[in-house]
Amino acid sequence: MKFTILFGGKAGQGSNVLSTILGSALIKKGYYVFVSRDYQSIIRGGHNFNVLTFSDAPIYSNNSEIDLIISLDESTISLHKKELKKGGNIISGEGKGNMYFAGRLFKMLCLDFKVLEEEFKELGKNFAENMKEAKEGYDEEKKTACKIVSNKSKLTFSNGNRGISKGAIKSGLDVYFAYPMTPATNVISELAEKQIENNLIVLELESEIAVINAAIGSAITGAKTMIGTSGGGFDLMTESLSLTGVAEVPLVIYLASRPGPSTGVATYTGQGDLDLARHSGHGEFPRMVLAPGNPEEAEELTSQAFYFTQKFGIPAIILSDKHLAESFYTSDKTPVIISSKKSTLLKRYNSYETDEFGCATENAERIKRNVEERLKKGREIEKEAEKFKQFNIYGNKNSKNVVVSFGSTKGAILDAIKDLDVKFIQILHIEPFPSKVKKEIEGKNIVLVENSATGQLGKVIAEKTGIIIPENSRILRYDGRPFLHDELNKEIRGKLK
Amino acid sequence: MTENLNTPIIPTWCPGCWNFQILAGVKNVINEEIKKGKKKDDFAIVSGIGCHAKIFDYVNLKGINTLHGRVLPTCLGMKVGNPNLNLIAFSGDGDCYAEGMEHLIYAARYNADFKYFVHNNQVFALTVGQSTPTTEIGYKDKTNPLGVKLHPINSIKLMLTAGASFVARVYAEKEQIEYVLKEAMKHKGFAFIEVLQPCIIFHDDTGYGEKTYSLEKTGHDKTNFESAMKKADEFDYNGVKKDTKIPLGIFYQKERTIFEELYPQLSELRKKKIGWGDIKR
Repeated sequence: MKFTILFGGKAGQGSNVLSTILGSALIKKGYYVFVSRDYQSIIRGGHNFNVLTFSDAPIYSNNSEIDLIISLDESTISLHKKELKKGGNIISGEGKGNMYFAGRLFKMLCLDFKVLEEEFKELGKNFAENMKEAKEGYDEEKKTACKIVSNKSKLTFSNGNRGISKGAIKSGLDVYFAYPMTPATNVISELAEKQIENNLIVLELESEIAVINAAIGSAITGAKTMIGTSGGGFDLMTESLSLTGVAEVPLVIYLASRPGPSTGVATYTGQGDLDLARHSGHGEFPRMVLAPGNPEEAEELTSQAFYFTQKFGIPAIILSDKHLAESFYTSDKTPVIISSKKSTLLKRYNSYETDEFGCATENAERIKRNVEERLKKGREIEKEAEKFKQFNIYGNKNSKNVVVSFGSTKGAILDAIKDLDVKFIQILHIEPFPSKVKKEIEGKNIVLVENSATGQLGKVIAEKTGIIIPENSRILRYDGRPFLHDELNKEIRGKLK
Repeated sequence: MTENLNTPIIPTWCPGCWNFQILAGVKNVINEEIKKGKKKDDFAIVSGIGCHAKIFDYVNLKGINTLHGRVLPTCLGMKVGNPNLNLIAFSGDGDCYAEGMEHLIYAARYNADFKYFVHNNQVFALTVGQSTPTTEIGYKDKTNPLGVKLHPINSIKLMLTAGASFVARVYAEKEQIEYVLKEAMKHKGFAFIEVLQPCIIFHDDTGYGEKTYSLEKTGHDKTNFESAMKKADEFDYNGVKKDTKIPLGIFYQKERTIFEELYPQLSELRKKKIGWGDIKR
């Protein structure tokens, strides 16, 4: 079974909280839940909605057909009616608060009201008011559709940003600097909330330029340091990214992208910053670019980013996007965390090429040697990275059809290929690129799925493997929205051989 | 004991450059501190990009010769990373007032405990002579053949209004550098020290050296903000006229809680005399 609920309302009406509360209650009952957020760059008013899809089997994305619309305002119905499945329902309630609907849904889905009470306690504010609203809804609802779910796995519910934060804490993060920018912002609050109990410090500085330079300052004293931003902020940081390259500063950078160019579509999703992550910063220096596809991989790859930065004195970029950063996923696995020793001591660092005393040099021989040392380090990183899982293989491993992708498209692809004869290769390490990928895709009917207009992973594959994915084998979405698995299923089906 | 603070590098400043005076003054003070019991590794230095920045190559201390304009956030980060460092930083007027202006205002606001010299020669010297935010109106160079049109920034006033807890200006003579650095080291907090430093090639002393006088000797009350502002107003950096007076010394000094004491995590590191790098998890 699969059931999709859309919660719509004005900004500030609380459709987001409502959907996450319902999501965590469903998880406790044994369901797999996926919740995405669609919101405008607005504080009050406008139209925001969340889409929650749940199932008794694993599910990692939404579909396009809605079973139930929860309408917190008048416009939700008119805006989303066309997405409602035949026989689908709409619940609206004039002047009702968001928790009224929580009460009704809990009754309808046979969820324990006590769980709702606990959720309200966790929210920490408006407890009495929320309880009153929820009770009213719970008592009013007459329809129930109870289903026993027999799932023995222990399920967790998290979004990508939370995964990044958890991974950083588990990796021994000391210092996090940031300047607020959607969709990376709530890593600041996740970490700030936990800074005292975990003995780390979170600081918001005057600009992204200040952020990365302060991070370089703290990293060279030996602190495990991380920063986070989105594309525009990352652009500002890139001169200093180059500094981490020459001075060999260990720095973890979280880049949560959104559609550009420029301010673009500030609160929507896109994968158009892969080229940026790979090529930013002037000069030639080694780096890592890691691309998690769900919150659990976000945790794992964050720990790898700390491991590689500390071991090699390099920058590592964890590339995510709004869809991964802010959607809630269900996981039944425990992330594999690699621990990393602190490797840095204060010494003489320099933005210039240096001699053995850490002084600026213009000596040709010395320059050549420094450059070659960086190249050598790049090769050592490649070798070390091979000890890790650099890409995932899903689906029919012997299929002649191969879907390739990276990052947040993972969920929709996994859900879309369930009934298709397809092998799915999800690249986790973009830099250094796993050489074994070539063998997996060579001679196959390759289909590229990407949330970008130019198919940037396709360019990486061409560069690293020599295999060019033809234009008509690409499924690209670039309207700021994530893929929906039923639509994607049809698109992939159309490309199969 | 004395530590050898020299590196094997032969300075490439122009012969007669006033930067040699700054270098000598700074080294003397650090050596005195080491004699008094501090260790060489208790100190760290940071410089930006420009002629001033070469000082990093001539002082054998740990630290970083960072990017143009980014000395201040780098220093803040180093103090967050290890609040126990005795940090001395160097910038030029281009580095500090042009490329790095946003950080300057914030440095005064943060009040992290480090000492900051701005080598103000009123010109971009290493790029062979363009105007900076403190160049006087009418200055001509190849990029300004019509002469500089904008009024120079009064950096002392700027720092006072930004809330800096220590604001000083000296002339680039060794003795003045020594005096002000010693005073700055006694001060707990961010110390802003502007050094009037003639560039003997592109912007020599236009007569301002003769117009200087000591604030200390004329009884200026450095705890009084209003009189500090009045003193700052005496020189507008816009060339030297007959009645120009240029006060030197400490304009203002008033301690307040330093950045490293605002956060319990950093206070703890100070108490234990360690940095984050010493914490094993």
